[in-house]
Amino acid sequence: MRFKLVTLAGEKINEEVYEVLIPTIEGEIGVFPDHEPLVTVAKPGVVTVKLEKHHTAERHEFFAISGGIVEITGKTVKILVDEADHGADIIEAETQAALERAIAMRDNATNDVELDKAHQLIDRHMVRLKVADLHRHRHR
Amino acid sequence: MASTRQLKSRIRSVKNTKQITKAMQMVAASKMRRTQEAAKASAPYEKAAAELMTYLAGQGATDNHPLFMRRKIKNRLIILAAADKGLAGAFNTNVFRRYLDVLQRDDANGVGNLTITIGRKASQFVSRLKDTSIIGSYEDMPDHPAGTTFHAILSTACNMYTNKEIDAVTVVYVQFINSITQQATALRLLPAGTEILIDPSEVRNFVADALYEPSVSEVLDAVTYRLVGSRLYQALLDSRASEHSMRMLAMKNATDNATDLIDDLTLEMNKARQSAITQELSEISAGVEAMK
Repeated sequence: MRFKLVTLAGEKINEEVYEVLIPTIEGEIGVFPDHEPLVTVAKPGVVTVKLEKHHTAERHEFFAISGGIVEITGKTVKILVDEADHGADIIEAETQAALERAIAMRDNATNDVELDKAHQLIDRHMVRLKVADLHRHRHR
Repeated sequence: MASTRQLKSRIRSVKNTKQITKAMQMVAASKMRRTQEAAKASAPYEKAAAELMTYLAGQGATDNHPLFMRRKIKNRLIILAAADKGLAGAFNTNVFRRYLDVLQRDDANGVGNLTITIGRKASQFVSRLKDTSIIGSYEDMPDHPAGTTFHAILSTACNMYTNKEIDAVTVVYVQFINSITQQATALRLLPAGTEILIDPSEVRNFVADALYEPSVSEVLDAVTYRLVGSRLYQALLDSRASEHSMRMLAMKNATDNATDLIDDLTLEMNKARQSAITQELSEISAGVEAMK
């Protein structure tokens, strides 16, 4: 099964995989080869990719995604996302600092728009931190 | 005639300027290449979104969608994309002229205006105008405009449109045709249209057979937002690519002019030096003559 993660900045991954776990607005779905054709909406979260059937959890790949559209045919899984980061590309210290800034922004927010923006940023950085953490544990 | 010393210092200063313009030319050239690559990279995303949209539009799903609703235009939001810096030839002037065209046409039709500016030059320009108000201005956008600023602009536009505060969204930017031709353009972003999408026969069978979860309308929401986003993204990238290529050209001209100027000044300096030598010699020989 071919898995493609497509962002505006290009394809993040385009590989043969065994299983993909995708967070959607209806809950997390696991996609195996020959899944029935489906179009759905992804929400911000962690996409887990299992490359081979016999791979154990240490060999999974993780991506932090913002929302997007999931397109599943029996042979391919394509996710159109605004932003996607591979676990290896996330620098934890920077993300941690960004998260703290976002929390400070939430605490100092004077109106709903700022608050909303701060919440979005916090969610985004939390997901990224989680992915970085998963990635680090995997390579222990 | 100016003294050799004065000429020397002028040559030195022109040389320094030439070095700077040459460097700026190189920087602009490499940035332009990078932006063009980024524009190419977004193509698969746009194609996938366009494909889904073509199918959904064919099903009549877009007929009642808030972002597709056409209504009489009373208020327009203009997103004006210009540069943060000058020294890019007519780049800023061209895009401002196009912007003024849109404003004048709206004024004639009694349409109200709001503006979001991108780039320092744009906010400086618009803040001097009376007949529009700025609701947001973004400066120092990175070369890859995806990210929080981009989404802030996109969601502001979509929300205002859905809440009927505005009835149309237009992006005024410089379209990148190739590295010598760029054109200031006004692009309609909302109401979203399906006219520039791909041929329906190119849509794969899969799209029609698939299940849509949780519902067609929720998928449509997500697709529309992303399609509109990819158009805005493309426009912003184009604007960047145009800016860099116009700056490259402007700086190339400046470098060439500096080279000519250095040549002229060098010639003049040599003449001045020669005439000084000639004069000195004639004074000496006149002195010798007088002592005889």
